Amino acid sequence: MFERTKNLKLSIIKQIELEASKYPDTISLAQGIPSFETPECIKRRVVNALKKGATSRYSLSPGLPELRELIEIHLAKENIFYNWEKEIVVTTGTIEGISASILAITNPGDEIIIPEPTYTSYQEVIYLCGCRPVFVPLNEGGGWSFELDKFKEAITPKTKAIFYCNPNNPTGTIYTKEQLLGLAELAKKNNLFLISDEVYKDFTYQNENIFSLAELPELRDRVIRLYGFSKAYAMTGWRVGYVHSNENIIKEILKIHDCLVTCAPVISQYAAMGALEMGQDDIALFNKEYKKRRELICSRLDGLANIFSYIKPESSYYIFPKILKKVKSWDFALDLIKNIQVAAVPGFAFGENGENHLRMCFGRSQDDINRAFDRMDNYFKKSNL
Amino acid sequence: MKIFLKPILKIYLKYITKLVLLIHKPIIIVIGGSTNKHFVKKEIERVLKGKKLSVCATPKNFNTEIGLPLAILNLSSGYNSYRKWLPIIPQALKKIFTYKFPKYLVLELGTASPGDMKYLLTIIKPHIAIITNITQRYLESFENMNKLTEEYLILAKKLQKFNLLILNKDNIRIKSIGECSRAKTLYFSIKTKADIYAYNIQKNERGYKFTLNNKGGDSEHNLSKFGSHHIYAFLVGQLVKEYVSHNE
Repeated sequence: MFERTKNLKLSIIKQIELEASKYPDTISLAQGIPSFETPECIKRRVVNALKKGATSRYSLSPGLPELRELIEIHLAKENIFYNWEKEIVVTTGTIEGISASILAITNPGDEIIIPEPTYTSYQEVIYLCGCRPVFVPLNEGGGWSFELDKFKEAITPKTKAIFYCNPNNPTGTIYTKEQLLGLAELAKKNNLFLISDEVYKDFTYQNENIFSLAELPELRDRVIRLYGFSKAYAMTGWRVGYVHSNENIIKEILKIHDCLVTCAPVISQYAAMGALEMGQDDIALFNKEYKKRRELICSRLDGLANIFSYIKPESSYYIFPKILKKVKSWDFALDLIKNIQVAAVPGFAFGENGENHLRMCFGRSQDDINRAFDRMDNYFKKSNL
Repeated sequence: MKIFLKPILKIYLKYITKLVLLIHKPIIIVIGGSTNKHFVKKEIERVLKGKKLSVCATPKNFNTEIGLPLAILNLSSGYNSYRKWLPIIPQALKKIFTYKFPKYLVLELGTASPGDMKYLLTIIKPHIAIITNITQRYLESFENMNKLTEEYLILAKKLQKFNLLILNKDNIRIKSIGECSRAKTLYFSIKTKADIYAYNIQKNERGYKFTLNNKGGDSEHNLSKFGSHHIYAFLVGQLVKEYVSHNE
């Protein structure tokens, strides 16, 4: 019984949230939820679609044509060219796209390389697909950068793909073009797929251009790129995203997508259309606010320099400070919840290399950040840590 | 936008737009159809700019009763915000006196409900109309496909004898529209012979390679984009380029 699921774990982030829910006054910097409400323009688009009765039926399995066409138009602005008719599938959040992609390209027993620390749910999806995650540590001293030699060493005849998140969750690192091109060379030499989750690409704090391997036409038959509307447009509850790749790969992903969900919720597809048509001003606004919050959380961490050290994130709304005291991150995180009702995610959730760190989300309001740090200031003072 | 502001704004923008068009008399190219309007618009803009002509193609798919005037006046939308509309209202008025108007206007025409096309054509008189395709998309507000096709028939019938209608021969619903128009009608295709058509289409790592036949003459082309809709857009661009070259 339960052979497939017996080794799967509920994500540590959700475990922490469950633990935090036992304390009514908890301030959570744990889950990556933006503090903002979904922009009005998006809701309006949905209301219009509802009134017209356009949301009550299935869409085509790959998604509404008008949404996919809009996605192609938006991708082209980023120098990424894919055919909406055959190469783009609208998914039920990014995680469904990830599951469908891995199921489509792997056989049971295959290995997938993931740099770590990285998003905690990747490994569970890989296990669910009957594959094995192979972790390659990122270099903290080099600003959580890739070390290509380590990827090279991790490749075996069973390796099917390299799966990374750019910008990275939880470190907020933007991988450089050179690093990514190095990875692409490795993939070409070893005939591997490259799965790129770019859900945080809209948040950059120095106006950096985030390079994507999907920009390179010669990599179309290797790169599977994923995007979700949750983070950029404050739409975590809508569960909508998309995956794009070369036609022959998408054809296979679509079969899995059809089995899993038939189509992404049509009401959310209309929300995604509203986001792409009218949500750009809101993204700019969120970006500006997250930049302020990044400065705030960094300055508050500076005040706890005896407890944490950190690398300033270049993107996303996470910071991944190192706990200076030798302590298990799980114990440290539980300690914070129990004693001062502040929730953060223990670093080991993102892989062994993340141990001795905490992930804090500055997607929460400035008030939440300040209150959480006020409590930590007092607590660490009292406990002489 | 609140319910009472919308009708006022609609009328206000409509008459300012009509006045601006009357003063500046641009050549209006409209693109209708269920999909591919954006890519055709961009291709026409590209070929006209390539001929160093003064052209304005709307950056967004503003193709509704309020969106179309905004597109013509080159103004952004205030969407549902009074605050955002406040500066736009006087800006629209200023366009009558100050706007350096382009010679060519390339616009998308959308029809989401019966009557949309008729209304939009009370604002503009197109010189060139293109219908990309008619599919079940946006069908929600129409009883059936015939009713949707009727919207595009209105566009075809509106054209004068000296205007140009460009139609997709590969779409069964569109083929018949040409018969109802007084305008000169040209067809494009990637599946069959037409006034302009592409054949020998080969997909490669960079996009497509194909042979283009234009009135019997063949030429080879490469397109670094993916999806047959880009080939259609290219064909339309060639027809518009030719027509404009002939009439400049």
